[in-house]
Amino acid sequence: MTAMIEVDSLNKTFRIAKRRAGMLGGLRSVVNPEIRTVQAVDDLSLHVDQGEMIGLVGPNGAGKSTTMKMLAGILVPTSGTIRVAGLVPTLQRRQLAAHIGAVFGQRTQLWWDLPLIDSLHLLRHLYRVSQERHRHNLQRLSQLLDLDEFLDTPVRQLSLGQRMRGDLAAALLHDPKLLYLDEPTIGLDVVAKARIREFLLALNAEQGTTVLLTTHDMDDIETLCPRMIIIDHGRKLYDGTVSSIREQFGSERTLMVVLNDAEHAELTYDAKGLPHLHDLPTGVHVVKAEGPRLWLSFKESALLSYELVAWLGARYRLRDVAFQEPEIEDTIRRIYEEGLLLSER
Amino acid sequence: MFNSFAHDLSLYGRLILMQIRAQAQYKLNLTLDIFCSFTVTVLEFIAMLLFFIAFPNVLGWNIGEVALLTSIISLCFGLAEMAGAGVENFAETISHGEFDRVLLRPVNVVIQVIGSDFRLRRMGRILQGLLGFGVALYLLPGLQWTIGKFLALALGIASGMLIFIAILFLGATICFWTIEATELINSLYYGARTMLGYPMTIYNRGLQGLFLFVVPVAFGSYLPTCYILGKTLPFDLPQGVVFASPFAACAFALIAGLIWSFGVRHYQSSGS
Repeated sequence: MTAMIEVDSLNKTFRIAKRRAGMLGGLRSVVNPEIRTVQAVDDLSLHVDQGEMIGLVGPNGAGKSTTMKMLAGILVPTSGTIRVAGLVPTLQRRQLAAHIGAVFGQRTQLWWDLPLIDSLHLLRHLYRVSQERHRHNLQRLSQLLDLDEFLDTPVRQLSLGQRMRGDLAAALLHDPKLLYLDEPTIGLDVVAKARIREFLLALNAEQGTTVLLTTHDMDDIETLCPRMIIIDHGRKLYDGTVSSIREQFGSERTLMVVLNDAEHAELTYDAKGLPHLHDLPTGVHVVKAEGPRLWLSFKESALLSYELVAWLGARYRLRDVAFQEPEIEDTIRRIYEEGLLLSER
Repeated sequence: MFNSFAHDLSLYGRLILMQIRAQAQYKLNLTLDIFCSFTVTVLEFIAMLLFFIAFPNVLGWNIGEVALLTSIISLCFGLAEMAGAGVENFAETISHGEFDRVLLRPVNVVIQVIGSDFRLRRMGRILQGLLGFGVALYLLPGLQWTIGKFLALALGIASGMLIFIAILFLGATICFWTIEATELINSLYYGARTMLGYPMTIYNRGLQGLFLFVVPVAFGSYLPTCYILGKTLPFDLPQGVVFASPFAACAFALIAGLIWSFGVRHYQSSGS
């Protein structure tokens, strides 16, 4: 396996001028700015092989996009070394750009008022793709992504799912070695999400494209990425498989119950506003209460989920129950709060 | 080198074509916009002409001569405004994060920024410039045209347009630091247009020097107009200087380009 991305001790510090309040303050900020430094990426090392599919997760502002920008050569690192596809991004940005495809879920690179096909044709010239190769790729991509039915529709009239398929085609017409996807399934319905994921799996298997994706959707990671990297405060907290992180950190599940009104009225609450439930089995805690709704967290190892439902059902009159899987954001928060740094270099 | 220049040029053509086709989707809107800006600029032009009813001769310039001068500056500015809209809009490009996309493409950054817009509706001012030019010719029946005068006119308009676009690039460069100070360059951009609508003889030597040697907009309009009308050039410059307008424009654009690329480097290290 050849390396696609090699990153060693990458750092990025931003200097941010603090603005003072008021008019005089604004003037003072210009004359004598109060500089605050922010460590956006902190000693990050990373090795990605060609053909890998990696999920990059972390809360907003964790340093994901700063990292991606440095990988693409858009942003110059404060220190550390990067090689992507054998190139040094900051020195060979334009050369590298020919090997990178990028899709930003929130923004499109397509020309809004024109038929999709026009954008796809123009991109041939932006990336200097030969006519032959472009025709071949366009044919293959429109088949895989089922673009034919809306190739002649102006982009502004496409549904979000169609637009995303169009954007994927646009990012792949020049056969990039590395595909960067920023929240590729955001806002899509279940069917559209499944379709995008299916396509990405096929792309990765057939073309061997290396895929780096950031997402808040845990299903994206689970279906697409054997490997995931968690970043927070610019540091790599975790680098490994999704299943092992679930085992180690996602073991707490949450059950939401809605009590019958009469039952709800009888509850007594403690100082924190949480109700007293007598004789709760060990390992079960009430974490939140909102009117008749209660959230209970429990460990699967201590008590199986159906046992907890049965236990509650025997003692309280319930209107509804629902299980909530741990959100990746919660898992990351727990990893961070508990100071469990897993990354080893 | 030449190959890549030719490629950039044809790419620019394609980007502009996309913009034109996109704007042609809204034909009624476009027509109305052109009509409105045409009307507004024509009214400005008429207001200026009315001034000459009271003062038929200002510092040796009569109505037809001033009409010629303002029409030429309208053409320079109108063309720049149409072709440079993408640069003028740069604050938005930055704040929407679109500039990252620009850097993600293996294509010259300047070509992409200029190619990101081409505002057909600004045709209004250009039409006014052409109309004004016609009026000026009507008011100056004795004017003799030579090949040299045509050349000076064409070079002047192209140079003026380039200088105005370069001013827009200076404004865009500020956006790499803050998008709240765009007015700073607007005062130069619109100020130069308004001030050069009048004969430069009404300004003191300092201002004349500014528009000749610092922001050489006068090379685009005032010098060619003087040459066409057979008037002496400011600072007693020799008449042949009018043909140097492309050099003045290119020198200014080059300096603006260097400042711009310094801005791009700042963006790449600050990322904001």
